[in-house]
Amino acid sequence: MQRTRRDILLFMGGGAAGAMLTPAPWRLVTDAAIWSENWPGIPRPARGEITARYTNCALCPAGCAVRARCVAGQPVSLAGVAGNPLSQGAPCAFGLTGHQLPYHPQRLKQGTPEEAAAAVRGAMAKCGPGESVAVLDLAPGRASSWTYRRAMAAVANGVYLAPPRPLGGAAVNLAKARTVLSLGAPVLDGWGTPGNVHAARANFRLIQAEPWESRTAALADEWLPIRPGSEAALALALKDPKTAPSAAQATGLTEKQILDLANELTASGPALVLSADDLPEALALNQALGAWGQTLVARPEVPVPDAWKKAAPERVVASVPDSSIRVLFIDESVPGSHIPWSAVEKKLVRDNPVVVAFAWSLEGYGRHAQFTLPTAVYPELTSDIPPAIDSPAATFRISAPLVAPPARMTDPSAFIAKAAGMDAGNALQERADAIHKSGRGTLFTYADGKSTPLKDIKPDAFWKSLNEGACWVDDAAVGRASWPAFLSSPHDTQAEPQSTAFPLLVAFAEPRTASLTSPLMSKLYQDSDLRMAPNTAALHPDTARASGIAGAARAVLETQYGRCAIGVIPDESVPPGMLEVAAGPEVLDICGAFTRAKVVAA
Amino acid sequence: MIAPNSKSQPSRERQRAVSRYGMSIDLDRCTGCGACMVACAVENNVPPAHEGATARKGITWIRVFKVDNGEEGAARRSVFVPVLCQQCGEDTPCVHVCPQQAVEVDPATGIVGQMPERCLGCRYCMAACPYHARFFNWWDPQWPAGMEKTLNPDVAPRMRGVVEKCNFCHGRWHAAKERAAAAGKSEIEAGAYVPACVESCPTGAIRFGDLKDAASEPAVAAKDAHSFRLLEKLGTEPKIYYHSKRDWVRQVAAAPKPPNGKENARG
Repeated sequence: MQRTRRDILLFMGGGAAGAMLTPAPWRLVTDAAIWSENWPGIPRPARGEITARYTNCALCPAGCAVRARCVAGQPVSLAGVAGNPLSQGAPCAFGLTGHQLPYHPQRLKQGTPEEAAAAVRGAMAKCGPGESVAVLDLAPGRASSWTYRRAMAAVANGVYLAPPRPLGGAAVNLAKARTVLSLGAPVLDGWGTPGNVHAARANFRLIQAEPWESRTAALADEWLPIRPGSEAALALALKDPKTAPSAAQATGLTEKQILDLANELTASGPALVLSADDLPEALALNQALGAWGQTLVARPEVPVPDAWKKAAPERVVASVPDSSIRVLFIDESVPGSHIPWSAVEKKLVRDNPVVVAFAWSLEGYGRHAQFTLPTAVYPELTSDIPPAIDSPAATFRISAPLVAPPARMTDPSAFIAKAAGMDAGNALQERADAIHKSGRGTLFTYADGKSTPLKDIKPDAFWKSLNEGACWVDDAAVGRASWPAFLSSPHDTQAEPQSTAFPLLVAFAEPRTASLTSPLMSKLYQDSDLRMAPNTAALHPDTARASGIAGAARAVLETQYGRCAIGVIPDESVPPGMLEVAAGPEVLDICGAFTRAKVVAA
Repeated sequence: MIAPNSKSQPSRERQRAVSRYGMSIDLDRCTGCGACMVACAVENNVPPAHEGATARKGITWIRVFKVDNGEEGAARRSVFVPVLCQQCGEDTPCVHVCPQQAVEVDPATGIVGQMPERCLGCRYCMAACPYHARFFNWWDPQWPAGMEKTLNPDVAPRMRGVVEKCNFCHGRWHAAKERAAAAGKSEIEAGAYVPACVESCPTGAIRFGDLKDAASEPAVAAKDAHSFRLLEKLGTEPKIYYHSKRDWVRQVAAAPKPPNGKENARG
């Protein structure tokens, strides 16, 4: 029998077809799938004992109580603490990803603290008359803040600087409010403690006066679309109806709408008026509505040790003479308000000022400082959290570390205290002891959900509980009958003059923070378009055309403070004449309150 | 109990299921904060967006869309709509088209599950899903160095080339089942098992429960006159009930696209 090439090919073809009827190829597919599931590119989650630990989120002033699910001691997810009297068990998206921040690719890991200390010593030695050493504390009110104030009191020409406190430090009692008028304040999107705001939401009618349909406007009981920049005129007309005609012209509302709103605020009290940046007109309207003692209240002071009271006063940056700061420390280890760098820079002396920033990334003031010293980041750091704006009660809670910080991290309070020639000590425990000594208030412990009067707890147990997840609450009423002076003379936020050079009004679409967020937050602005990415602006297509950037994905944002590159999104829902921006460090450096801007081609 | 669909009798799957887990979402309470989206990603080991990812290629088991009424200026009104796998209870489209039997309806819970080990990556299921609630892994899952320490040990990360979707945090169901068994119980108590999105919602807009339990919040919500399901006319019997007192919101659910022709406010 002769074998031809055709026979061989037929045999091979038949064999291949026959093999398809055997389990072999399918087994190969399965094995390949199993292999691909386990290839080295796919990380394997670690195993270990599963435990729950409690702390408080330090990523914003709300300080929500947090329950961390830990595997072998490593937090793998965060959730709220149900029944918590302050945060009502509801952290925000930012807080839910906080346990990932220590592993952020842009984390600062190295610094030169010895060189920075030497430079500070040299600069302090040649500090001349009229020059000062200053600390800019972005999150005032902490035990560390008191250390800074004491340190600045200990050095000649020491100045303690902090961002203006919202409502001058007064507290909002949302539980008492029946009508809330918001002049652009993001009441439902980052203004207060999320859980607390939503718990009180059912009891008040929310009226949002704002040019664009923000998240708060979308969920408000009534949205009043007013013209950009007309919030002050509306507030003025609501206080003094005689100005209603001119306010109608400015806002685009009818006179009847304004008068009806004025009547509603009076008739459906207690009322509260909130504005995006503490407009003086909004505060005056609150005064006229009798908000003080009802919806706006004085909060009891959180006790501090008597020895701390010899401290430098808290001042705002604007109160310091230009070109007067020789040494500036900036603590941004805990996220807080951001002051545009241009406003800070002009306060520095012209010849070789020394700026030391304490930060966990180079995204903030570290870009401008000579020395940026790496610090622990939540949830590695240990810090107390001052009471939130919507907490009428005095509170004390600690963000206790869930993981250990890496080596060579700098403690800002120890560094600044040493520069001032004093010992920082354990300020946090000293303050806890002072609170315990006062015997006021109750302690709410997260693990068991119990409230215990402070007088029934021993000092050691109080300190231990604070570190294991607890908050001290003192809701004793503070009797102050008259409108406080600090609300009549509001701080340095003021509307910028109208300028034809900068025709667009900037509105912040996302919560204002210069801090980096977890890479997983990209689910919200890259994997979907729910939120805007940092340093991005949305504007009406007509505005884009008028600015000469129609169809462009990138542009340059210009304000009187400077310019920066931004991403551009055309959006018909943004009113013409406005820019809806998502704050990033670059944008915040050039945008203050009520900023006007223009966009030009990149 | 949920009223049976007038067009079809309950299938054998529905009749024998021990539980029929479902969800109600109150659109009048959703602020579009995104907490549900990130909590879901944390719980289910969904990696951060790849450099090349976009809103079309990104993986978000639950995605909040901003939908408007199509009007301009002061008449414009928007609503935030969280969309996840609707856990179809009848004629589940993705189950029918999968050539690998990688999609199954769990008879014990009614949850539509996806098995990445079986998935070939043909994406027929993505084409078949009328809710666009399935996502393809275009890239290897990658976390920044060190961040893999924060992965949830109850959920295996998925490999490149397979499809994934919401499974009502099935890992949590297993954990709840184990806890119940340890306590000598055969069934999970109401409230002992909730998905991450439900737990994280700061406004309480998302509620979860067993639709077979008439007292559960989704079962109560299902009977509400202001409740609706997405694309109900397809007859897939989704187990996600949406709720809104606003007429235009309920109408949007029935239409394939809003009047302005866009899928969401930003196109």
